[in-house]
Amino acid sequence: MASEPPANTPTQRAVENLAWKLRRRQIVGSRATALETLLVLRQVISKSRFSSMEQLVTIIRGVGRRLVEAQPKEHSVGNTVRKVLHHIREEYNTATKGTAVTLSSGFSISKFVLLGQPRKQSAPTKAENKGTLKENDPDDPDSFARSLKPVLMEAIQDVLDELETVYDNVSKSASNHIHSDEIILTLGMSKTVEHFLISAAHNRNYTVMVLETAPSYGGRDMAKTLSEAGISTFLVPDSSLYGLMSRVNKVILGAHAILANGGMFAITGSLLAATAAHEHCTPVVVCAGQFKLTPLWNLYHEYGALDFGDPSQVLGFEEGSLVDKVDVVNPFYDYVQPNFIDAYITNDGDHPPSSIYRLIKETYDDEDMLL
Amino acid sequence: MLITFLQVFYTQEPEPDYVEAAIRTVLMIHRAEEPGDVLLFLTGEEEIEDAYGIVYVHLGASWRSSPSIRRCPKCSSSARQKLGLDALLVCSCSGAGGQCACLWVLHAVALHPITLICLPASGKEKRFFVICRSHAEQVKKAISESKWSRPGSGIKIVPITTAKETFSAGDAMRDVYTRGLVTSDFVLVMGDLVSNIRIDEVVRVHKERRKTNKDAIMTMVVKESGAAHRTRPQGDSSVFVLDAETSECLHYEPVSAYPRTTMTRIPREVLESHPEIEIRNDLIDCSIDVCSVEVPSLFQDNFDYEDIRRDFLHGVLTSDLLMKNIYCYVAKDGYAARVKDTKSYESISKDILSRWTFPLVPDDNHPGGHVYQHTRGNKYIATDNSVSLARTCKIGNNTLIGASTKIHENAQITGSVIGQNCVIGAGSIIEGSYIFDGTVIGAQCVVKRSIIGAGVTIKEKTRIEKGCLVGDGVVVGPLAVLDPFERLSRRRDKKASGEDDEEEEEDSDIDDIEANQDKASSILGKDSNAVVWPQGPSDGDDEDGIAAYKNQCVRRLGDDSSDLELSDDGSESSDEESDESSEYDSGNESADTGTSSLATPSLDAFMPSGQMQESEFRIEVAQSLERAFAEGHSVDNAAVELKTLRMASNVPLSRVREAVVAAIVEHIKIVDGAQPQRKEISRVVGRWGDLINKIGGVDAVETVSALQMHCASSERFPLFGQILAELYQTDIVEEDDIRAWYRSPAAKGVGLVGGPTAENAKRCWAVGAKMIQQFDEQESESEGEGEGEGEGEGEGEGEGEDEGGSESGESDGEGESGEGESEGESESESENE
Repeated sequence: MASEPPANTPTQRAVENLAWKLRRRQIVGSRATALETLLVLRQVISKSRFSSMEQLVTIIRGVGRRLVEAQPKEHSVGNTVRKVLHHIREEYNTATKGTAVTLSSGFSISKFVLLGQPRKQSAPTKAENKGTLKENDPDDPDSFARSLKPVLMEAIQDVLDELETVYDNVSKSASNHIHSDEIILTLGMSKTVEHFLISAAHNRNYTVMVLETAPSYGGRDMAKTLSEAGISTFLVPDSSLYGLMSRVNKVILGAHAILANGGMFAITGSLLAATAAHEHCTPVVVCAGQFKLTPLWNLYHEYGALDFGDPSQVLGFEEGSLVDKVDVVNPFYDYVQPNFIDAYITNDGDHPPSSIYRLIKETYDDEDMLL
Repeated sequence: MLITFLQVFYTQEPEPDYVEAAIRTVLMIHRAEEPGDVLLFLTGEEEIEDAYGIVYVHLGASWRSSPSIRRCPKCSSSARQKLGLDALLVCSCSGAGGQCACLWVLHAVALHPITLICLPASGKEKRFFVICRSHAEQVKKAISESKWSRPGSGIKIVPITTAKETFSAGDAMRDVYTRGLVTSDFVLVMGDLVSNIRIDEVVRVHKERRKTNKDAIMTMVVKESGAAHRTRPQGDSSVFVLDAETSECLHYEPVSAYPRTTMTRIPREVLESHPEIEIRNDLIDCSIDVCSVEVPSLFQDNFDYEDIRRDFLHGVLTSDLLMKNIYCYVAKDGYAARVKDTKSYESISKDILSRWTFPLVPDDNHPGGHVYQHTRGNKYIATDNSVSLARTCKIGNNTLIGASTKIHENAQITGSVIGQNCVIGAGSIIEGSYIFDGTVIGAQCVVKRSIIGAGVTIKEKTRIEKGCLVGDGVVVGPLAVLDPFERLSRRRDKKASGEDDEEEEEDSDIDDIEANQDKASSILGKDSNAVVWPQGPSDGDDEDGIAAYKNQCVRRLGDDSSDLELSDDGSESSDEESDESSEYDSGNESADTGTSSLATPSLDAFMPSGQMQESEFRIEVAQSLERAFAEGHSVDNAAVELKTLRMASNVPLSRVREAVVAAIVEHIKIVDGAQPQRKEISRVVGRWGDLINKIGGVDAVETVSALQMHCASSERFPLFGQILAELYQTDIVEEDDIRAWYRSPAAKGVGLVGGPTAENAKRCWAVGAKMIQQFDEQESESEGEGEGEGEGEGEGEGEGEDEGGSESGESDGEGESGEGESEGESESESENE
């Protein structure tokens, strides 16, 4: 990181600006970071000069690396970069070889799961550019970029649209998962879960219990929005989790990042809830957008991955005599193992934890796993 | 529209508010002149906003729809970009380490980038001024190397080297003023700040306050902490008196460790004008100040201000004439502290390692660009796989280990920060220490709570006890043993090392020290190149020197101030625990004064500015009046003199009244016989009575009670009735006032402790009672008779006076004889109780 590129052009300034905001945690939350990353990438692609596919990929990777290094714990930054790279390659392949893409997506597992509800993704590919692309043209080095850029912009717009509609798409199948008179337990403030529950409430009548989720107390906001939406909601303290679990029909959680092994990083308290649910054989369902799929395994349970925050939420800074004697650990996230999770509901269909690795393989290209 | 000609108009007199004047002119042009554009230049963004608002309102609804007024703050000044806020970074110099405090290395990163990181919280474009005096080159180099100086970082840093005469923050501010650096509100921080407080929020609050109150010139950021907090500077804390509602800072007093501050004096005005106040000693002063433009000019006006807190803040708050307000922003969340000394260096390092400063923590967002891996127990180890840890070494909690550092077998490291390229030998124990880059520590060493500079070599089996400072490049050992709080630096001249005789050097201090190293070299080991700085105050030091030394001691790394208490037999508060003393308001000694001043904030509140000052003032007033009496000044002149006296010695108006009444009463000569005495009284009161109401306010009730209190304790006690009557006659005191006084509890002598004064006061009250009785009689008489009012009144007066005179004369005699009785009575009463 010591050799940061000098930021002279407006594009690079935008990248630095975002990196800086990520560092300072002025942008938090996986969707917000994904959106910002995408906007910066769009700017980078539209402004940069390249004469071959390799150059373009190198540029995007460089930006991606810079952003990921700035905040390695916001996984959606890297995911967005990978996804954009994947789409660019797809478009490039379509433009040069025509039908290469449709072949590869022939055995997609998400297609397999979604067989009953075919998606518009299999629209006919754009054939008008076929054969006109010329890489590394010495006479006109910009010709490649000129001809490819509109397509690339379209590809990024696709990703952007997907991000913007992620909540709606996740909650499409809400009424299939939540049945009338069920008692649902959730925790923390997750926009995805919130939309999911509210959309289910349109045609189901059910009860939600929201854990307060100390120390961030996001559960309070969650309970407020849910009850405002007309769902019968209980806000319960974290300590009563285990006692309530026997009456709960389903646990619905949000995720910070879904890992390739089927586990996930989620807000602190999720592991507790998932373990209690496991004990009572209560199904645990995780709602998350596809942009949270992360090619990471967390095999060694890296301690730092949980992103430890400021202890002041737990122990006030005013407690001077204690501050000196007590080490307070305040992790933002829990790592929830795959065996505690029954299903992931994404905007790309519902999946068991065991097939997440496959989904990741389809979403991203293998060569981008390490940016 | 083209500007066809240009005309210059001058106003006849200087405008008090030029913005208002400008707007007035604009509106006049708008009404009177033909259609066209008016271009108005104003100096600051805030003023532009204000003017825009006012013009907008004035123009009325019909104009609002049309885009007739535009503000263009961006073009207001040529070179300025959109000027969010200037930040002023004052790098104060710390004498101890010989390095500028902002160049101190915190976790292998120089401090000032951390400070810079703290600032741009609002994301606006800003200009930074870095002001430095000594080590300017180092600061400049560090800044130009940092990534902030790159174009595109959105921040412009202007290093400014001030003259060598700049010794304090005050001098720096004056320099800022004379150079005209700041033209709008700015943030003033010290170069040793570590913070994650969102300053933009503070700025927003400040600007909002400025809109309604132009006198709010400064907002200080303070952070709540407990009474005994490690980050709260011991011996350098302060007492803030805040208005509970507006958090306006009403009074400020620094607290020093030696001599220990055990009580604070709170001016009575504070209690009078604010219904609810908070007295707080649990605030960490972050020295982040959002200042308005006036602040540097105030420094310019008061050339003796040095410290921003001790001088400036105190000066502004106590000044009668400035009428400026300073507010506090009590940060509930967030973290801010200053690295002032080695002790705060230690505590801030601990805070960073235990993540209080999040997101400013080593494992991400590290300003130096190093990347650390965070593992269980807040251990941070550089991630680039260059750290080599022996299999048997023990790394304790809250530890940071820099890149390329080697820890050998069986070494134990707890709560420490180890820089880059260090080597810790086998079996060494390092506890709570800060070891800078490139230091080599041999086998079997023990280092406790010390700071070891860069490139130091500590040879095997050396013991370094708590609180030691080892300068860069020192070699110590082998087998050396350092006492607690020892300070070592490298011998300056290579040629002189090993020999005690010195060549010519200007610096006699260092010569002396180097000359006295016979003993030291045996302690430090045979290969050492170090000199030991002497501890303790030098022999020639006076009381102040010792106090300063002890104050410094409290702020040392590892000092728990226990040794200070023990060694300090002369101090009156030696039996108190240090942490007990820090919550001074529960301390025994301060309890009596503190609570009394709080419990009864009414009339007899604890008089702050010292009895000394007050008695001085009383004497001065007496002298000035005596002069006036003797030389026959006019009443007005005497009043002016009194006013200036009051301003100068800063006493409340009531004191002046008391003093004036007393002086007038004393001026009355005691003459035998009722008639001449009456004449004398009417002469004096007639001549000087007006003065009582000309000293700056009319409060007749207070006048009467002042008269009563003075007469009660003076030999002119018998004259009370007559003087009161005379005051009544000359209309200085009205009938209603006397009635009001009569009803007030103070007039009955409530609150006075027994003794002749109280007795006399009671008698005065009785005289008052008579007078009131007469008033009542007169009223009924005048009502009954209806005619001959003046006659009746005159009669009544005469009678009253006569009676009062004779009565008081009698009672005087009685009083003397009855003194013993009354005292005896009161004693027996108290015994019965």
